[in-house]
Amino acid sequence: MSCEHAERDLDTYLDNELDAATAMDIHGHLNECAACRRRVAEREALGRLVRAAPYYSAPDRLRARVLAQTTRARSVRRLLTWAAAAVLVVSVGGGGLSLWRSAVTLGDAMADDVVDSHVRSLMASHLFDVESTDQHTVKPWFLGKLDFSPPVADLASIGFPLVGGRLDYVGGRPVAALVYQRQRHTINVFVSPALNDVFTQANVQSLRGFHIHHWVHDRMSFWAVSDLNEAELTQFCEALEAS
Amino acid sequence: MPLRAFEETVLPHLDAVFNYARWLTKNTADAEDLVQEACVRAMRFLSSLRDDDARAWLFAIVRNTWYSRVSRRANMAEAIPLDGARDVRPDVALDPEERLLQQHTVALVRAALEQLPVDFREVIVLREFEGLSYKEIAAVVRVPIGTVMSRLARGRERLMAVLKLTAPMETLR
Repeated sequence: MSCEHAERDLDTYLDNELDAATAMDIHGHLNECAACRRRVAEREALGRLVRAAPYYSAPDRLRARVLAQTTRARSVRRLLTWAAAAVLVVSVGGGGLSLWRSAVTLGDAMADDVVDSHVRSLMASHLFDVESTDQHTVKPWFLGKLDFSPPVADLASIGFPLVGGRLDYVGGRPVAALVYQRQRHTINVFVSPALNDVFTQANVQSLRGFHIHHWVHDRMSFWAVSDLNEAELTQFCEALEAS
Repeated sequence: MPLRAFEETVLPHLDAVFNYARWLTKNTADAEDLVQEACVRAMRFLSSLRDDDARAWLFAIVRNTWYSRVSRRANMAEAIPLDGARDVRPDVALDPEERLLQQHTVALVRAALEQLPVDFREVIVLREFEGLSYKEIAAVVRVPIGTVMSRLARGRERLMAVLKLTAPMETLR
């Protein structure tokens, strides 16, 4: 093994992330090469130095604030349960209130996160991991990166060309983000398996100047978000759902 | 959603999550706000956590929350004054001269790490302080493992270059 090879893999070697065979090769090389041994010593010293930098433990007041948050959430929930029970007493069939309520808050939280991800993708100039107008390039790209295969359609024929895809993180889960273009407007479509029935209610809403469409098709959950006008986004979503 | 499960999921990792947030924001007050907002999100999305590692899941939520806040402020500038000298606890067992040297070194390392671009800084923090594997870091930062490797290597090179200029030479031997 040459010094050049050893140097390239030195970090991986010291982090114990190298496969056994290559690690043995490096080990062998280090026995013979004083220059690389010096590099290892330097890297190890750097590691010790970095770990001597401050580790910031959570202040007690933060711990208290987080605890207070969950306690507050718990009492709100208890109140909601009481409210649901009260409604149930008044009219049989009103027991769906608490379910409806949690669906609404979860939907709001998701919409918020969807808009955040959309804005982030536009600002951080990280719109694509795979840039392609070919659905047969974009779809296979997700293989092995997600535990599901998002349906990918090209809607160029009706003026919504597919421009690429990327991995994103919405609602605390990895999702497939498909990127479409309409003139100068970008449409992000976030696709993930529909988790449970709270996600199955289709809805349309606006948030911070963006339109958001949500629907479930074939047990997949779709969130489309854009600053495109409502009518054209609706046309896009209907075409996508029908494709 | 079971709130006890939330407390059991989040509270054990609060130090790790705060440390990561503190290195992202470089400011104690911002880090506290960030962690609190991230906890609200984590609470909402707890049902989406499956058998994955809760800690990596929380790091990812903190990171996304931070990027959202930064983009909301439309201010990527990281000009935040050093404020945390009080967070550094000197080792009382050392004699005054050694203690001075140690404080000096810690301050230098801290400054060097804070000056690194955040892409490099966060992978170093996740690796050196939290011991995350390359795979876990890749999941948090949402980049391929190869990118994690090159960011770690380049980040360390930069740190080394800065510290070689500033730190007492014997600390690098």
